[in-house]
Amino acid sequence: MSVSAASVTQLLFDWQQGDQSALKKLTPLIYDELRRIAHHYVKHERNGHTLQTTALVNEAYVRLAGQERPEWQNRSHFFAVTAKVMRHILIDHARRRRYLKHGGQFQQVSMAEASLMSEERAGELIALDEALDELKNFDPRKSEVVELRYFGGLSLEETADALEISVMTVRRDWRAAKAWLFRRMARTEFRVQASACDYQNMSNLKVEL
Amino acid sequence: MTPERWHRVEEVLQAALDHSPADRAAFLNEACAGDEELERETSSMIAVYDDASDFFAEPAIARDARVIINSEAQMHPGREIGPYQIIRHIGSGGMGEVYLAHDPRLDRPVALKVIRAGLVFDEALVRRFQTEARVASALNHANILTVYEIGQDDEFFFIATEYIDGPTIRERIRAADLTLQDVLEIARQLLSGLEAAHVAGIIHRDIKPENVIQRHDGVVRILDFGIAKLLEKSSPESPSTTSPVVRTETGVGVMLGTIGYMSPEQVRGLGVDVRTDIWSCGVVLYEMLGGQRPFDGQTNADTLVTMLEREPEPLFGTSGQTPPALRQIQVVIDKALSKAPAGRYQTAAEMRTSLEKIKTALEVSKQSGAGAISAQTNVRDLRSLAAQTSKSGFRRAIAMTVAALLITVMFAAAFMYQRQRERARARLLAVKAAPKSYLQMTEAEKLAFIEAQEQRISNMMGDRSVKLNDEALRVIKVRVDRYATRQNTAALKPGEESLSSTYARAPEYIPVIARAFTARKIPTVVGVYLPMIESAYQPCYENEIGAKGLFQFLPSTAEHYGVSRAEMCDVQKMAPAAAHFIADRMAELGDDAQSMTLVLLSYNRGEDSVRESLRRLRETDANYERNFWTLFANRDKLDEGFQRESAWYVPEFFAAAIVGENPDAFGLQMPALSSFAR
Repeated sequence: MSVSAASVTQLLFDWQQGDQSALKKLTPLIYDELRRIAHHYVKHERNGHTLQTTALVNEAYVRLAGQERPEWQNRSHFFAVTAKVMRHILIDHARRRRYLKHGGQFQQVSMAEASLMSEERAGELIALDEALDELKNFDPRKSEVVELRYFGGLSLEETADALEISVMTVRRDWRAAKAWLFRRMARTEFRVQASACDYQNMSNLKVEL
Repeated sequence: MTPERWHRVEEVLQAALDHSPADRAAFLNEACAGDEELERETSSMIAVYDDASDFFAEPAIARDARVIINSEAQMHPGREIGPYQIIRHIGSGGMGEVYLAHDPRLDRPVALKVIRAGLVFDEALVRRFQTEARVASALNHANILTVYEIGQDDEFFFIATEYIDGPTIRERIRAADLTLQDVLEIARQLLSGLEAAHVAGIIHRDIKPENVIQRHDGVVRILDFGIAKLLEKSSPESPSTTSPVVRTETGVGVMLGTIGYMSPEQVRGLGVDVRTDIWSCGVVLYEMLGGQRPFDGQTNADTLVTMLEREPEPLFGTSGQTPPALRQIQVVIDKALSKAPAGRYQTAAEMRTSLEKIKTALEVSKQSGAGAISAQTNVRDLRSLAAQTSKSGFRRAIAMTVAALLITVMFAAAFMYQRQRERARARLLAVKAAPKSYLQMTEAEKLAFIEAQEQRISNMMGDRSVKLNDEALRVIKVRVDRYATRQNTAALKPGEESLSSTYARAPEYIPVIARAFTARKIPTVVGVYLPMIESAYQPCYENEIGAKGLFQFLPSTAEHYGVSRAEMCDVQKMAPAAAHFIADRMAELGDDAQSMTLVLLSYNRGEDSVRESLRRLRETDANYERNFWTLFANRDKLDEGFQRESAWYVPEFFAAAIVGENPDAFGLQMPALSSFAR
């Protein structure tokens, strides 16, 4: 790895101070770590085990930032960056997947690549992304909780630590955000307002246009 | 939503979530105390809460691990793979990513094609990768990309090849700077490389402009032997041992556009030999000269039909006025694009020799004056030249066109054309009819399949066939895909039923339904598949708003049609009521009922809404086609209610019918459902 542990710490610090170019430099490192985590998943999927993402993210941090006692602030920022990068990769892929679908058929998107994500999943992710942006407008903390939990893979406790709020608060934020987001997604994704006329259940209504 | 409003909503939501699921509704009713909007807002969130929890139960990475593993920008500069150092990403191949990398041992640049090792999800990909490496490294020829090394480290398979700093032929065609000489020279080198491959017993099978690259010094190299085939001299291929149509082994990694380059025998899934590459060379030659492919259609299905059925538009005339070189080139193209392999050049060398003769003649000839061509003429100018030289025939052509037009009009050619197309399609279908599993089809094949089947089902419904746009096809496809995944009983979600169990319920009821629908002169196919999308053929299914029975009537509607609440599970009663109901919708729609898709829509949404949608559409175009798909294509002009229904009802119907009419393709051990109606 060409970037030293000390510089990862420095980059996280810089990013925290508002230096966006630090994020750019961090991103490829985090990409690699995310891939390592993803590999664990694929491997464990075969064994039928579930995994604790938090442990893997922590491990990634230790590997990148070094063994010395990690700075608390940096650690939570690392989680935040990881979650953002994760969200970015997935949404980017989902959008390209969509583009492929909408007549961009001569795009150089390989079938192998397209087969990684179903159209349905791409629709879900885009809807979630939009809903999260909207949630951020009126309740930014909940939007962060979701980003850390869903995209960053953090546990309730880790999320609480990262945001410096109580576990109870995270728990309540999480459940309210889930309910709001999912209903909002249903509306964008299915372009459907749940109404009494829709006599098939919601999952049957998922359609991508 | 304002933060203040959300604060209030959340307060109630949280309190509701603190209650047990059973008590939540009552709680909300009380807590909202007449604030209907608040109650609606919160109860809609409570209603989806369980689904929401399922959705968020696992972090995204658990579900999308593979996307992450394969995501782009996966390797940053400086990263080492085997002995190589990545410099930058230069492209995505049919499989894997391609990087410019540095080989420090020899201090030279290499193109490094990389795929992740250990990805169980695509063993075929790994196999292809290895084939490519094996095949290409066995070839050593000036016009074939040189493979330096094939390797593997902990994470990746990689192939290191020479790095070519130059444009692909695709890029050259786009740049439109090719001269006649360039084209002939590229073709010559391409054929020369293929000749070497063929002699070594290797067929490329994926010759297209993207796979041919030209160095700045003019040398042409053939890339991507990923789907190449090793000719087995001892056992000639027979059609029975090869699987039909645009095979998946070719499908993996072939961009959707590649269909335009495959030979007829390749598309048909018959045995292929070196002559399939000759065909593809003919296509590439045609495209370099004409700027477009000889066979092209709006959809892949059209392209396939065109390719199998029609002769390409000649690029140059063969009359006396056409310069001899162009006439000769036209002859070469025609021969390369002969539908029967026996009619083509039998070897790459033969075709190359023909082109070389033309090239030499051109180079020595000293033509001058207007209309003269030379090796340096840009191919674009050839096209206009070709148009000019055919001018003398212009008058006659006009006369003939007018006559043809008249006859055409008199005999309602539109109809004939339609018929002809249908026949062509049916033939295509027959070619494809070998029961290939839907799940094994490539995306392109799936779409072609759905397109053909949609036409067939429209015909069964007595509708005029219309050509569906891509979007419409894909809306159906999303649903067919969903049915198809239910074949795999191991992958069923909780509460989901296997496809075969659902469809197995239908035959029992179809005769009754068919009688009822026939009595009202409604195509039976409508009656056969409505219950599939309404109730999945559960005769006593009741939904949350109280619609019940095979055809999902509300009790009030049932009563209106003479079926009491107690009789709603009785198919003998419900089938005639449904037919009656549909007949009424048809009567209400009047002339518009000529399209069963509109009647279906009206079955679901009520005729008022359909009428209103039609009225709005007429405002924009009085001559619109009366069918659901026209509404669908114009739905942005229609009301939200329509948009909502358009999204799923009719497409769902077609999806259910496509599955039921093609049991073989979906692993159903039964005849087509419509056969039970007879």
